Amino acid sequence: MSAQESLAPNGREAVPTITIDGQTVAFTPGETIYEVARRIGAWIPTLCYDPRLEPFGGCRLCMVSVEGMAGPVASCTFQAADGMVVHTATAEMESLRRILLEMVASENPRIQVDPLRGYASQELADLLARYRVAPHQRLAGAHSGRSRLDDPNPFILRDYDLCISCYRCVRVCAEQEGDYAISVAHRGFRTQITVEFDGFLRDSACTFCGQCVQTCPTGALADRKALRFALEEKGARSA
Amino acid sequence: MYVPFPLEIAAEDQALIDRYRQEPAPLLPILHAFYARDGHLSPDALRAIGKALGIPLADLYGTVTFYHHLSLEPGGRDRPRVCTGPVCCQRGAEAIRAHLDGALPMACAGRCDEPVPVLVADETFVAQAPGRLERRTSSPLPPPNPGGVEECVFAHIRRPERATLKGYRHTGGYQGLIRALTEMTPAQVVETVQASGLAGRGGAGFPTGLKWRFVAAETRGPKTIVCNADEGEPGCFKDRAILDHDPFAVIEGMTLAGYATGAERGIIYLRYEYPETYHRLAAALRVAEEAGLLGEDILGTGFDFRIYLRRGGGAYICGEETSLLNSLEGRHPFPRNRPPYPTTHGFENRPTVVNNVETLAAATHILARGADWYRGLGLGDRAGTKVISLSGDIQRPGNYEVPFGLPLRTLLYEWAGGPLPGRRIQAVTMAGLSGGFLAGDALDTVTLDEESVRSAGSMLGAGGIVVIDDSRDMVEMARQAMAFFAHESCGKCFPCRIGTQRLLERLEDPPPVGSVSRWEEEVRDIGRVMRTMSACGLGVAASFVTDSLLRHFPQQVQQTVAERIHGHRASATGGAHPEQEDPA
Repeated sequence: MSAQESLAPNGREAVPTITIDGQTVAFTPGETIYEVARRIGAWIPTLCYDPRLEPFGGCRLCMVSVEGMAGPVASCTFQAADGMVVHTATAEMESLRRILLEMVASENPRIQVDPLRGYASQELADLLARYRVAPHQRLAGAHSGRSRLDDPNPFILRDYDLCISCYRCVRVCAEQEGDYAISVAHRGFRTQITVEFDGFLRDSACTFCGQCVQTCPTGALADRKALRFALEEKGARSA
Repeated sequence: MYVPFPLEIAAEDQALIDRYRQEPAPLLPILHAFYARDGHLSPDALRAIGKALGIPLADLYGTVTFYHHLSLEPGGRDRPRVCTGPVCCQRGAEAIRAHLDGALPMACAGRCDEPVPVLVADETFVAQAPGRLERRTSSPLPPPNPGGVEECVFAHIRRPERATLKGYRHTGGYQGLIRALTEMTPAQVVETVQASGLAGRGGAGFPTGLKWRFVAAETRGPKTIVCNADEGEPGCFKDRAILDHDPFAVIEGMTLAGYATGAERGIIYLRYEYPETYHRLAAALRVAEEAGLLGEDILGTGFDFRIYLRRGGGAYICGEETSLLNSLEGRHPFPRNRPPYPTTHGFENRPTVVNNVETLAAATHILARGADWYRGLGLGDRAGTKVISLSGDIQRPGNYEVPFGLPLRTLLYEWAGGPLPGRRIQAVTMAGLSGGFLAGDALDTVTLDEESVRSAGSMLGAGGIVVIDDSRDMVEMARQAMAFFAHESCGKCFPCRIGTQRLLERLEDPPPVGSVSRWEEEVRDIGRVMRTMSACGLGVAASFVTDSLLRHFPQQVQQTVAERIHGHRASATGGAHPEQEDPA
């Protein structure tokens, strides 16, 4: 849709426009920079974003340069404004994103995540590949998150060693399902996804809907049934 | 079957809840009421509170774990907390902690002008040495102004009985409010504050009058005046002194802000670590209400304004105004995305003024004595004054109210007596820890105003200055600062959550890096991401620590890091010769 087409029929009321990477487009007041950018096919990296959820602004990968502003802004939370000129991938931003991705990769063990773990489970791996980040080459340090492999439920694998604290699981559980079964415990690098009193999912408000599994961008939450099925199938083939 | 909440709440629990549930911001006082009664927060207590306030149990559990001082373990409340902030570490805090049974470390508790503070439940002690505890119920008075310079917020603070309502009124207290309510329109109050040049004294420096104007212009209500007394910046202890010795100045300032903006309620958010200040404030609020200076129909003018006192749970990030608002609302205290700003979407998404303690106290004096008087207190063309909390390796630590533009050197050497005998000042921190280190020529040339300090690559911020003499290892000072930021990082945004941890690891011994050049490259890269991409000021501030360390002390850093890397290698290879450094 061009700016021309979105002029009001009487031609008097000019619609607000924003220029993203040289392309000037109309937008609806209230749209974020990220939403407009996606609408016109621009690609901006994200990890904490899920279009169904309220913008969170945690991963900071979607930060873009806006002309006239002192520093970059998070495009997922910053609303488009008339006359705004945005650059989504300056050399500086791309360099910062790459370092940030190295930092993210450094907090987890290096493993190949099975795509059967969940719908979005390859998001982090894909981003690392796209930015040519070789995990664990630099920025070494402690790992975050503590897996709850002791949780006996048969549906959801809680492999938080792979967690990057984007809180998509917590937010989808609250905003989409209305279950509020999981939350964020502690703070900073010690942050841990939890249910009340650090217990098991079956003793919580979890309904095992699986929304958290499907939005997880790292496979930290995984579909145990799918993994079990794959294992059985592999077993049958080799037999 | 999963039963989230008890079917019935015990009568005694219900009574604790009912005391606050109809008030604004009920979660914190209810948590504190159970905490004081039980000595910890039990699962049953959280279930009852969650049910009564409609907070999902997982959320409530997660939120409680966010607060450093709220313990879920029986007996957790009564375990002594020993300050292990950067100044207290200089004074043997670890030995004091080791001597106390079951004592826990706590981040800077805001008493850097006294011996090491120890908090036991609701009582504050200070320890000169292991085992030697003395009770403290009040803050030291600010040292008399040695420069003979006219003050604003400290003008009357040393007068006896200033902390009582009678003494406060004898020394000019409430004259500003009386004049405002009887002779001025709200718009005129805003104009006076704007004309004075007063700006936020909590660190951000936003013009106070403009903030009040924004909120006054909003049509939605109810509006709220929040006093940010969550003074958590290491090396800052000015707000505690003001609240202990001049509580009515802050209460009057909030009332003025309420009148100016059309707000009918105020909330004071006081940090957990100031229990004695809490009781003093609670008493002052009661006295002001009984005297008709708070509550309904203040001074018979028809203006209503009520103030509620809230105590935090131990989290530095709650000094960030949007985290503070989330904390008040009973939410997880992550900072909010801005815009929108609190002036339009603050407490409960309504227009809200959030002002620091010192800012509100200054506003009281400005209304009593006029905008021109306040502007004239600064040196040159700078308007007004700033309270500086000075601590560390200095003869006379304490709170000093300085005119903006006073040379840092004058404060350090003439007002505060200079370094300890035989020592030399090698650096100072600025803005508590948030401005990183200032060193070299800047120590002689900087004046105490935001413009000058920023041109030297730091910031004045909330006004905490920790003096570091030449007996200290700067890498160790930086490690302590980074340990603080890593401990207090909230975990919302990636750059800060991961970055503070990675920088801390690099300041530890041994660093997880094989060469000095690689160490510097990684520290700079992480710092660049934190400075540019963090969601709030905490991550930005943490990057200043390593940036300024590398800028001012490159040789000390290189030598220390090389020794650590090689020392580690030497021991790992059985004391063999240090290997050549890896190429970066």
